[in-house]
Amino acid sequence: MGVAAVLLEVVAVLSLMLTVSLSVVVGRDRLRIAASDLPDQLRMAVKPIGLLLGVLVINSVVRDAGVNLSWVIGTNITEFIYSLEGTVVATIQSLVPGWLTLYFGYVYVYGYAFLLVFPLLAAVLAAERRHLRHMAFAYVINYTVGMCCYLLFIAYGPRNYMPALVEPLLFDTLPRFQLLTSEVNASTNVFPSLHTSLSVTVALLAIRDHGTFPLWTPVAVFLAASIVLSTMVLGIHWATDVIAGTLLAAFSVWAVSSDRVASLVGRFRSLYGRWR
Amino acid sequence: MALRTGGDVGVTRRSALAGLVGGLAATSGCLGRIRALVGRDQPTAVSLSIKTLPVDQDPYAIALARQLSAWFGAAGIRASIQPITAEELFRQTFINHEFDVFVGQFPGPFADPDAFYSLLHSTYSVESGVQNPFGYTNLLMDDLLEQQRRQTGSQRTETVTRIQRRLVQVCPFLVLGFPNVIRAARTDRFTGWNGVFDPSLVSLLGLRNTEGSAGRLRATTPDDRPMANLNPLMSSHRGSWNITDLLYDSLAYRYRGTLYPWAATNWEWVGEEPLELEVTLRDTLTWHDGQRLTASDAAFTYRLLQDTSLGSLSETVPTFRFRGRSSLVESVTAVDDATARVQFTDCSRQTARRMLTVPLLPEHVWTDRTDKATVSGVDVGVTTTDALVDGNIPPVGSGPLEFRLVSQGQTLVLERFDDHFLETTEETGLPSPLADGLAFDEFELRFVSSDSSSVDLIVNDEADVTALGVGPNLTSTIGRATDVSLNIDRSEAFYFAGFNTRRPPLTNPRFRNTLARLVDRNALAESVFDGYVDPAVSPLAGTPWLPSDLEWSPSNPVVEFLGTDGTVDSERAREAFRAAGYRYNEQNRLLLS
Repeated sequence: MGVAAVLLEVVAVLSLMLTVSLSVVVGRDRLRIAASDLPDQLRMAVKPIGLLLGVLVINSVVRDAGVNLSWVIGTNITEFIYSLEGTVVATIQSLVPGWLTLYFGYVYVYGYAFLLVFPLLAAVLAAERRHLRHMAFAYVINYTVGMCCYLLFIAYGPRNYMPALVEPLLFDTLPRFQLLTSEVNASTNVFPSLHTSLSVTVALLAIRDHGTFPLWTPVAVFLAASIVLSTMVLGIHWATDVIAGTLLAAFSVWAVSSDRVASLVGRFRSLYGRWR
Repeated sequence: MALRTGGDVGVTRRSALAGLVGGLAATSGCLGRIRALVGRDQPTAVSLSIKTLPVDQDPYAIALARQLSAWFGAAGIRASIQPITAEELFRQTFINHEFDVFVGQFPGPFADPDAFYSLLHSTYSVESGVQNPFGYTNLLMDDLLEQQRRQTGSQRTETVTRIQRRLVQVCPFLVLGFPNVIRAARTDRFTGWNGVFDPSLVSLLGLRNTEGSAGRLRATTPDDRPMANLNPLMSSHRGSWNITDLLYDSLAYRYRGTLYPWAATNWEWVGEEPLELEVTLRDTLTWHDGQRLTASDAAFTYRLLQDTSLGSLSETVPTFRFRGRSSLVESVTAVDDATARVQFTDCSRQTARRMLTVPLLPEHVWTDRTDKATVSGVDVGVTTTDALVDGNIPPVGSGPLEFRLVSQGQTLVLERFDDHFLETTEETGLPSPLADGLAFDEFELRFVSSDSSSVDLIVNDEADVTALGVGPNLTSTIGRATDVSLNIDRSEAFYFAGFNTRRPPLTNPRFRNTLARLVDRNALAESVFDGYVDPAVSPLAGTPWLPSDLEWSPSNPVVEFLGTDGTVDSERAREAFRAAGYRYNEQNRLLLS
C-alpha cells in the first residue's frame, strides 16, 4: 500500500468517526442552530484556524530542514534519558497483553487524528467563540515548543535503542502506518512526545469546558489516556518524553486559560497597535 | 629530588624562606610526604562511549553495542551508547576522531589483503578519513603492510598471516562476524536473487526477468543517503552497498572473486622496474551526457583521486575512499584515445591490479570541482575541495544505469543507459550472467525507514526487493508470503567494533587485548544475530588467506572468553585487567591509571 492509499484510508475512517460523533456529541439541535448561522461561525473561525495552519506549515518546513540542523546544533540525549528511566518502557510493554496491541496501534493513528480534529470542529459549532480560540492557541503552543525541542535535542525512541527489550509493535502489527509516520516525523524527534502533549491538552480543555459538550469529556479523557499509553506500549516514546509532553500540555492549557497571560497579551497587542 | 635546600650558596632570599618554612614544618620529611600524596592526580574510573547506528538503519548494530556495553560493564568499565545516523557517525568517527568505540559494518568487501594497508598503516593515522580511523601506529605492522605489497605467492601468504595474527593480539578493531543478510524478494517478475547484491551491485546484472518485457525493478532501503548524494568519492554517503557502482564504470570489475576487464578490453605489463601497465579501453565508451570516454579521462581520474585539488592548493587533498588504491599509482598517462599507461609504486602485480577497480570520472565535469570547498562562498577553514563535498546530482558516469530523477528525497530512479557497451557490444568477454545486460529498464530505490514496512511493501507487491538486509524476526513473515522468496547471502562486509587508539586507556594494546577477551562471539551469534552470522576474528575469514589457527568455531574461539555461555565472570575479568597492570576502586570500577 502506498503512502497515498494509507492516507486515503485514514481520511475515510476519520470522516466517518467525525460525522457520527458530531451528531451524537454536539447534538441535532445545536447543529441545526449552527447551520443556520454557518457563514457567521466560519468567518469567526478563519483567524484562529488560519493561525494554526500557518504554524503547521512552518512546522513542516522546519522539520524538513530541522533534522540536518539539529545534528549540527542539537544534543544527543538518548543515553541520558535511558540513564534516567532504564527499562520502564520495556516493563510497560511486557505488562500489556498482546491482543491489546492492535487496539493501541489504531488508537495511535486514528484515535489521535480524531482527538485533534474533533474538538476544533465542535468549537466552530459551539455557541461560545473563545473555545476555538483557546483550542487553536493551545495547539500552536504545543507545536512551537515541540519544534524547538526537536531542534535542540536529538533522541531516538526505545524501539531504536533497545531492540532486544522493546519491540517496534506499531510497525510490526500495522506496518503500513510506518509510511505515514516517517513522512511526518524523523526517528530522532521523540522528545517531547507531541502525541502525549496534544492529547492531554485536548483532555484538559474538555474537562475545563465540561459544560459545553458534556458527552465529550469522558470520550476525550479515555482516548487521551489510551494514546499516552500507546506511545510507550508501541515502543515509540520514552516515559520521559511522555512526562515532558504532559508538562507541555499543562503549560499550554494554563497559558490560554490564565487571565494574567491574557492581560499580558492584551497589553502587548495595544502596544503593538500604538507602535503601528 | 625537586626540592633543594639553598644551604651552601649563601644567604639568598630563597634560602632564607626555605629555612623559615623548614623551621615551621619541623622536618622536611613531613612536607615531602604531603607533596607526594597531594601532588598525585586522583585516579579516574574508565568510561567509554560506544557510537553506533539505530535499529532503523541497521538491524544489528545497536544490539551488538548493548551487549558489548553489558560485558564491559561486568568488568568494571562503564560504556554508554550513542545511537547516531550513518552520515553523522561517519563524520564524528572518521573525520573528527571523536569516539572511543564504534560498532558497525565495514563499508564494503575486503577484496584483497592489501585493504589492510589503508586500514592500519601509521602514515594514515593522522589523516581524517576512512583510512586508519583507529589511529593505530606500529612500525612493525607498517613494515609487514609494505612487504605484502611487494611480495607474491607463499611469501605474501606468510606475511598476510603474520598481519592477521598480530591483529588478533593488538586489536585496533575487533571483527565480530560476517552477517548472513536476509532479504525479501518477489519472484513473479524477476528471478536469480541469490548473491546479486553482495559484494558489488554490478552483480544485479545477473538478475533475470520472468516476463518477456523488462520493467521497473523496485528496491527499498532504510538508507536515505543515496537520495541526497551520488558522489562516488564521498565515503560518508557510501555504505557497504553502493549505488554508484551502477552509475560509474571502472576499468575492471571483481565478480565472484575474479577480476574481469570492464571498461578496458585488456591490459598488458610492459615494464618491471618500475612496474608499468598498458591498459586498452573499449572503443565505444560514452558518458551519460553523450561525450566520448577516452584514456585521458582515465588518466585524469587517477590524478584527481590522489589530489582532488590537482595541485591548486598548497597541500594535496586526496580522496578518503580510494586512499589505499590510489597510493599504488605513481602516474598515469594517456598514450592515445584508447590507451593509458600506468606506472606503479613499489608493489607486486597482484596488488597493483587493485587500482583497476576505481570508478572512472569524466574530466569535463570534475575539472571544475578542484577549488577549495566553501559554504556559500565563505571559507570555513577546512581544507577540502568541491569534489569531496559536492552532492553530484545529477551524476554523469558511463555505467550501465544513468540517473533519471530523485523525488522528494524519498525515491531515486535510474534508467538503462542504452549506449553502454553491454547493450551495444556483442562480444564483451565477460561471464554470461554479466554479459547479458540488464533485466530491467528502470531501477527504483525507495527510502523506507523500517524493515517491517519494507517487507510489507514486498508482500503487497509495491516493491520487488529489500536492498539491504532485514532483521531475523521477519523471516517467518517473508517465508509465509506468496511469490516472495527469502534470500540469505553471506555478506562480505563484516561487523566490527573499532577502538580509538589515540585515547587512553585504548592506547594500550594490553587493555584492548583484555577487552577483546570480554567478547563471546558465540553468544553474539545467538542473541543478536539469531544465528544469521558467521562469527570470525579476521577480516579475511572465508578467503584462502585465513590461516587455520584463526578459523573461528565454537570449539576454537581463537580468543579465550573471560566467562561462560555469554556471561562475563567479573572476578576473572578483574584478574585479567589487574594482570595487564590496571587497578580497581572500592566499587570495582576499573581505574584509568
